[in-house]
Amino acid sequence: MAQIFTPAADTWLRATTLATVFLLTLGAFLFAGYVNSDYATGVGMVVDQPVPFSHKHHVGDLGIDCRMCHTGVETSANAGFPPTHTCMTCHSQLWTGAAALAPVRDSLAEDKPLVWNRVSEVPNYVFFNHSIHIDRGVPCVACHGRIDEMPLTQRAHPFLMRFCTDCHRDPGPKLRPPDQVTRMDWSAWDSVPEHRRYGIEAMKHFGIEPSRLINCETCHR
Amino acid sequence: MDIDTSRLSSRTGRRFWRAVEAHDGNLDAAIEAEFAAAFEGLSDRGRRELLKVMGASLALLGVAGCSQQGDVRAMPYVTAPEFETADNPKHYATAVIMAGWAQPVIGVTHVGRPTKLEGNPKHPASGGATDAFTQAALLGLYDPNRAQGPKFEGRPAAWAAFDDAMVENAARLNARQGEGFRLLTGASTSPTLARQLNDLMQRWPKARWHLFEPFDDGLRLEAARLAFGKPLDRRLHVDQAEVIVSLDDDLLGPGPQQTLNARQWSTRRRAFQTGQGQARLFVAEPTPSLTGAVAGDRLIAAHGRIPALAQALSSALGDSATMPTLSALEQQWLERAARAMKAVQGRALVTVGAQHAPEVQALAVALNARIGALGRTIAFAEPAALSPPDGAQSLATLVRDLQGGAVDTLVILDANPVFTAPADLGFARAMERARVRVYAGLHDDETAALCHWRAPIQHCLESWTDARAVDGTVSLVQPLVRPFYDVRSAHAVLEAVQGRLGASDHDLVTQTWRGAWGGAFDETWRTSLLDGFIANSAPAEAAVSAARVAAAFASEAPGLEVLFRPDPSLWDGRFANNAWLQELPKPLNKVTWDNVIAVSPAFAEANHIGSGIDSGDIVRVEAGGRSVEGPVWVTPGQARDSITVFLGYGRRLPGQLGDGHGFDGYPLRTSVSPFAVGGARLTRVDGKRLLACTQDHTALQGFDFVRTVSPDAARRERSGPSSASREPSLYPDWRASSPSWGMSVDTDVCIGCNACVTACDAENNIPMVGKDQVAKGRAMHWLRIDHYFEGPADDPKLFFQPVPCMHCEKAPCEMGCPVGATVHSPDGLNLQVYNRCIGTRTCSSFCPYKVRRFNWFDFTGKDPPELQAARNPNVTVRSRGVMEKCTYCIQRISDARIAAELEGRPIADGEIKTACQQACPTKAIVFGDVINPESEVSRRKRSARDYTLLEEVNTRPRTTYLARIDDGEEGEGA
Repeated sequence: MAQIFTPAADTWLRATTLATVFLLTLGAFLFAGYVNSDYATGVGMVVDQPVPFSHKHHVGDLGIDCRMCHTGVETSANAGFPPTHTCMTCHSQLWTGAAALAPVRDSLAEDKPLVWNRVSEVPNYVFFNHSIHIDRGVPCVACHGRIDEMPLTQRAHPFLMRFCTDCHRDPGPKLRPPDQVTRMDWSAWDSVPEHRRYGIEAMKHFGIEPSRLINCETCHR
Repeated sequence: MDIDTSRLSSRTGRRFWRAVEAHDGNLDAAIEAEFAAAFEGLSDRGRRELLKVMGASLALLGVAGCSQQGDVRAMPYVTAPEFETADNPKHYATAVIMAGWAQPVIGVTHVGRPTKLEGNPKHPASGGATDAFTQAALLGLYDPNRAQGPKFEGRPAAWAAFDDAMVENAARLNARQGEGFRLLTGASTSPTLARQLNDLMQRWPKARWHLFEPFDDGLRLEAARLAFGKPLDRRLHVDQAEVIVSLDDDLLGPGPQQTLNARQWSTRRRAFQTGQGQARLFVAEPTPSLTGAVAGDRLIAAHGRIPALAQALSSALGDSATMPTLSALEQQWLERAARAMKAVQGRALVTVGAQHAPEVQALAVALNARIGALGRTIAFAEPAALSPPDGAQSLATLVRDLQGGAVDTLVILDANPVFTAPADLGFARAMERARVRVYAGLHDDETAALCHWRAPIQHCLESWTDARAVDGTVSLVQPLVRPFYDVRSAHAVLEAVQGRLGASDHDLVTQTWRGAWGGAFDETWRTSLLDGFIANSAPAEAAVSAARVAAAFASEAPGLEVLFRPDPSLWDGRFANNAWLQELPKPLNKVTWDNVIAVSPAFAEANHIGSGIDSGDIVRVEAGGRSVEGPVWVTPGQARDSITVFLGYGRRLPGQLGDGHGFDGYPLRTSVSPFAVGGARLTRVDGKRLLACTQDHTALQGFDFVRTVSPDAARRERSGPSSASREPSLYPDWRASSPSWGMSVDTDVCIGCNACVTACDAENNIPMVGKDQVAKGRAMHWLRIDHYFEGPADDPKLFFQPVPCMHCEKAPCEMGCPVGATVHSPDGLNLQVYNRCIGTRTCSSFCPYKVRRFNWFDFTGKDPPELQAARNPNVTVRSRGVMEKCTYCIQRISDARIAAELEGRPIADGEIKTACQQACPTKAIVFGDVINPESEVSRRKRSARDYTLLEEVNTRPRTTYLARIDDGEEGEGA
């Protein structure tokens, strides 16, 4: 009876196995690389907006507080977008004829809302609440980055689950005095050595237990 | 007929069963086939087919796992309302109107969308309770099948055209003082409608107003007229009645009065639980009702026997009337009832159902007066509902005038007489004699189809109006949302048909009350809107005494009788388009999407035709020369000679959700005998209907599911922790710290009314799956009410047991999940993490309580925008392939926790109410922190009545039950 396997069969088997393992590993790395890439997480990407609103100008240069426009941030789950009326409190006096502001003026005139595109959005099975984070002193910059340096708003951090849980496992280092949450530049604060203890004290004060914070039901329901 | 009781034999030796075998097959099969339809047809396809399916599943796995980002658009206000955070829910006190009566609610809106109706705790009648109809009214608002704009002769028209036509018509009628103008409405208690009708009659003295409501209190008013000389509303004070003898009166059953009676009854019952007096309920009835199910002493008596029983009771309590002949069973029941009544004197109540002759009801009134109950357990007041000039003959008069050609313009406002009118009147044909027919209603229904103009009206949640609750208190009804269809308020339509245009519903309602309050208007209006009702607006209880004893009355029609009852889910049919109600298992037979003809097991057995009558067999019921055909349901506890036909199904609504489900029983109902007809005949015809019944779904394997204790035992406190919590377990121990959530369900006050189930549907975005899927055991309700029987099929005791997720401390489901999608939280919740779930369904097969529900299909993705708007934004909308279950309303826990943390305080006891708890009219459900010994739930769990469902599986559930108290004859009790 003829041989079923050629002399090279064994080599082929080994080579194929090795190649398969190699390809699978490579695939896994590529996949992991992709999901963590800025492309997939949307970090640093600018989203089209009806008006090229510059946080750099309004926050960085003019020093307007976040809560001037995002009024819900202390009392509600969502920070909220400002009503057209808020824009027009200033822009009925300033840059009244600017072409870039035409959609804002139209919105007020026609009583039609501006349609913004969200930059910082969590998936619909995640329930994030701004008010409690602000109350405990998680500064805006912790998640939204240096908004005051962004001419066009972009996502500063990948809003993957890991980003949330990193902080929920050990919130201390991120905590700041709640009365200063909207402060953007914390380098002066960080340079004071005594401030390193602030987070630990704040966690004690508020009774924050990381073991409870990392439970699924904190965010998923 | 064999009853499958052997397999549920229990440790206490008591046997509880779920279904008559002939209908059900055997229970083991039901238990084994947990996913009854999972592999339907696959097993006989062979290996190749199986591999193909598996391959396809694997290939699709990756696709199904992808989640999509939601809508990323953000649309802020142009000008924001002051002092308001857009995202926080807002609450408005208002009311939902059911058959003319106000059901007070607090409407919750999210960004302008009503998402939930909660009971109004301040309201004197409801005290925060709701019923299933009220909960489902939310879906009624968003119903995509609602009439969305005016139509003329079936084609879309503009309101302007309607207005023009009406102005022209009104000018013609003006010249004749309204002669030939007829208005037909459903029942109403609206003071504004009353004012408008008054105006109408003054402008057009020759016009006439008619009223028709398929199930109303007409005969009750007549009974009061017999007793006191004038029609009066009956006001029950069930909380004062230590002994209630109900002669076929479903006090706790569905209907406008359910929440008030159930709340008061549970108040009385709770007092009894702690040893303050009694709370005994004697019921004699032909067909099982919720009242009968919770009664301590239930007698099965045909409709025709009720007059005799009333007379006998009167005689037993000292009336000189002759004692009718009673059977031995009836005699014994009567003696027990009479003895109990005598023992408590004036703290008793005798009540006869509104479907019985006024003379019989008047006899009960007289009886109440004689025992001194008048003014204590029962009182009378001026009628709250508007009564038409022709009284009970209102519709008959209209039909006669229609046939006589006396009607020129017929306006039908919020009624559907073509479907519901008594068959002998021939309303539909008579109606076509009217020259101009205008229909104003929520849906394009059977009546709309025969009208020239269809003027769709606003739902009560998007309209200004007013109405009285069953205690007479007026609620101002304010809109929760601006109408999103092209519809008008009923008040505005009524003005328009008189040629008066431009009146807004708000103006019409304020006009009524401005007149009533004068200078105090602004302040009273504001307070009443905030409270949800107008304080002290109920008509005072009339000072009545010495009720006249009614004349003698004839007793019973011999032979087989047919009873007409409103469907417990669809009422008279008006909720046919409401999926939450269609898919709601009916309390006493757990059938969904269909109505049935109820017959007793003995009758089914005796009427052997071929193989006998089984549930689902099509039968023809004939009575008075009319007949209907429908599926039969063998109903344990039904009277031998009574057949119950549930009305409200068989709607003819082409293209709408409610079209074609069930059969129409109205053709059998006549104006002469609207509630029962004797001399009936039942024959089997060919065919069998598949009924989607959930009674045998999710059957548990074990014993002692429901328990009863004696009144004495009930009052003791348990000496230590229950035995179960001391059993060793291989499962991990959880650190228990406060708060640890738990629930206690009191089966002693649960009346099985389904309010909790519907509230859960609304709160938790529960998808409705349709009849076919329900039949396959795929209903998605997170909370179900199990219904058990004990004893012989012909006269069983009935039990209800609401079953949500037990939130076991030693949860088998958590062990089963291969991906950690179901895990334990530090506050004792058993969590389900949808984004982790890959749909192996292992958790469900491990769950001894069968409370987990699997999304076999994408039940939500194709929801029209209206239904998407109805969703609770705080609860994830689940997608295909995901397991889900009761979360103890975790969104409410999270909200309360965050609110408490922001204010730097602990969560107060009672601060978190789960949706089911909030809706429950009898406060059977209590939720709270089980670590805190002072919490209500901890107090309940210390009771000797506390028990664990399936204690033997040692899962240590956080949901436990309080056993029912057996208050049969004194000295009895298990």
